[in-house]
Amino acid sequence: MLRRPVKEINAEFSAEEKYLQSIQRTVRESCVAAGMSRKDTSAVLLATEEAATNIIRHAYLYEKGVIRLRVVIYKKLVVFSLIDFGRSFHPSTAGKMDLAHLVESGRKGGLGFYMIQKIMDSVEYISSAGRNELRMIKRIGERPAAGKPLLRRMFSLRVRFSFWTLFVVSVIIGSAFYYIDYETSRHLHNRLDGTVLSLTQTIADQASGYTLRSRSYVEFDELVISYKRANPELELVVLTDENGRVVAHSDDIHNIRKVYKPPDSVDISIMGRPQRYTADGNQHNYLILPVERGRAQAGLVHVVYTCDPIYEPLSRARRKVALLTIVLLVFGVVGVYMLSNYFVRPIVNITRRVRRFTSGDLESELPLEGAEEFFDISKAFNEMMTRLSQDRKNIVAREKMAKEIEVASQIQQTLMPRRLPNVAGLELDAFYRAASVVGGDLYDVFEIGPGRYCLVVADVSGKGVPASLVMSMLRTVIQINAAGDTSARDTLIRVNGYLKENMPAGMFITVMLAVYDAGARAIELVSAGHNPMLLCRVGSRDVRKINPAGMALGMPVTLGPDFDERLEQVRIEIADGDMFMIFTDGITEATNREGRQFGLKRLADFLVTHASVDVCGDVPTLTGAIVSEVDEFAGFAKQNDDMTFVIARATFRGDGDETDSHAGTDTLDLKASDNGSAESSDRL
Amino acid sequence: MDNINISLSEGTQDSISELRVDGVIDTNTAGELEEVFDSLLKRGRYRIVVDVAGVDYVSSAGWGIFISNIRDVRANDGDIKLANMVPNVYEIYDLLEFDNVLKAYPSVDEARGDFGEHAKVAVAKKKAGN
Repeated sequence: MLRRPVKEINAEFSAEEKYLQSIQRTVRESCVAAGMSRKDTSAVLLATEEAATNIIRHAYLYEKGVIRLRVVIYKKLVVFSLIDFGRSFHPSTAGKMDLAHLVESGRKGGLGFYMIQKIMDSVEYISSAGRNELRMIKRIGERPAAGKPLLRRMFSLRVRFSFWTLFVVSVIIGSAFYYIDYETSRHLHNRLDGTVLSLTQTIADQASGYTLRSRSYVEFDELVISYKRANPELELVVLTDENGRVVAHSDDIHNIRKVYKPPDSVDISIMGRPQRYTADGNQHNYLILPVERGRAQAGLVHVVYTCDPIYEPLSRARRKVALLTIVLLVFGVVGVYMLSNYFVRPIVNITRRVRRFTSGDLESELPLEGAEEFFDISKAFNEMMTRLSQDRKNIVAREKMAKEIEVASQIQQTLMPRRLPNVAGLELDAFYRAASVVGGDLYDVFEIGPGRYCLVVADVSGKGVPASLVMSMLRTVIQINAAGDTSARDTLIRVNGYLKENMPAGMFITVMLAVYDAGARAIELVSAGHNPMLLCRVGSRDVRKINPAGMALGMPVTLGPDFDERLEQVRIEIADGDMFMIFTDGITEATNREGRQFGLKRLADFLVTHASVDVCGDVPTLTGAIVSEVDEFAGFAKQNDDMTFVIARATFRGDGDETDSHAGTDTLDLKASDNGSAESSDRL
Repeated sequence: MDNINISLSEGTQDSISELRVDGVIDTNTAGELEEVFDSLLKRGRYRIVVDVAGVDYVSSAGWGIFISNIRDVRANDGDIKLANMVPNVYEIYDLLEFDNVLKAYPSVDEARGDFGEHAKVAVAKKKAGN
């Protein structure tokens, strides 16, 4: 039985192998605190290292996670719990390990578990609701070799109950026996004392009468002898005169006239009350009464009597009581056994049921029986079971779903361009981070013809699986429709033509699509309701946002003006060192804890101060700088939108082209396309 | 940080390989020992004496190397013998009942000796063959 814990230690560690030593240190300290032997300590350390390593490797697969260590020290045992929140391990793969089997298999797996089982006195693995606990119990001190189960049974609840109840019953019956015996004996003694007292009184009265009439010694002698003969309990009757000399003696006539000397332990001043004394190993009673003559005391009657007459009835009574006691005890034992059954059986049932539950049976219920308390426990347990199995089903379903989403996420990852193509004259980089497991953003850079490249960033409305599925479709649709010598505007019109027939109702997509022409050193830019592009001219201290008109893709045709009509294409000539960035609103709308958004202005400012090669070096470095700037702003606030951007810097230097010479001069000049889209590009 | 030091001496007179290991055999260091074992077994050297006098801790990763290879080694007429276990390590070896599977010796010489005539005969045959 567990008593109150002496000490409890809780600690949490990051699930990494480099923290194993810290875990071990805590375990070692706990073992020392529990007073465990050095040998047991090193064994326990081995077991916990094994368990912790398993968690890091198999529960978390080396991913981030925590290991919680809980050590509860009791007087005679220590409970070590290692808790994790990773993948649970399937007991079917463990079971009881057998060394011969391990050797035969030639595998290392399972050895760890074998060792833990061998070292610990009890090992339990409890896994529910994403929390796994390996509970290991180690007894302090030598473990009793084979006698362990017996020892445990000896201290089972039933045995304890029986022992204590029997003890109490025995004490009660024993006391009753003692009391009855004492009372009987006292009663018999009193009766004997009473009889002897009245006899003695009679002798004293007669002696007094004889004294008055001055009878002879012979008469006194006859008196005492006849009394003694008539009453076998009387051992000695002596009559003395006022000087203490013997007048009559029942046993020896030669004592007459001599001074009578009672036994030493008798106090002759006590009259009329029996005194008990022992002589020759026997118990005797002594009674003294005065012989009165008129008002004066003429002498004393000394009577010695034995208790023999009461022994016979006393032992008879004792036999009766003893028999009764034995009968009661037998009934007591049987009763206690039955009672213990009555009390213990429901507990045994509940235990058995709980064990079945831990081994996976969630269905069967506890019978509602036993005392009210057990009835309540059983009822509560059944309710708990029902709820748990319900929860378990939910968890299984949720886990299945999570797995499916994970698969979706993996598929989605493969849909993003694995590597950006080498684009002549552009130094490119892209960034994508989904807010949840699956995202709805898309970026892509691909070649559509000789020297012509398509750069896309898109944002599908909504989140989660539906958005990610549409996003997957979108990438393919754009790639197919952009191929060839198509202009950016025509590509988007075709994409929209396909999507409006095939989009789920209520969803739409914003896209910014740029076609970069390496020969012409210009980009054609179209925007389907997307947020603006940022353009940073080299040498200038400012940045422009370029926002061609256009509606989102996949909107129902009946709403508003026609998509094709509204779609505007902007043409921008690029000079060496110019930098542009197309992105989704996950960047500008990144929100910090105070609810403030990162904003376009902040992004533009950051870009203009960091755009030059001197400040930030190559484009990937700049990408990192932008991301960390946004992250720093947002802090740890959870973002609910994906963050995506494609960033490019023109690097015509080294192409041996004369563009170099005027690169610095026309940076502020934005050449609009035939649509005259100068209005759509604003200075920030 | 825990470290491991392994030195290998392969006798030319007999077919016994002697490994001297110092330090700690745990999750981090077991890989190194395993490599040595793999290379020995690959070259058909199945008679191995491991001198663990300088080892004061062996985790399951370490025991795993011995336990997982012992079957193959014995099938090839060899053995893995542990010599000079320090009390710490021996206690665990005893507690985990590894004595049923792996043989332990108080000294390297005794471990070598236990390969006995067997090893010498093998060498003799080899010499005769040459």
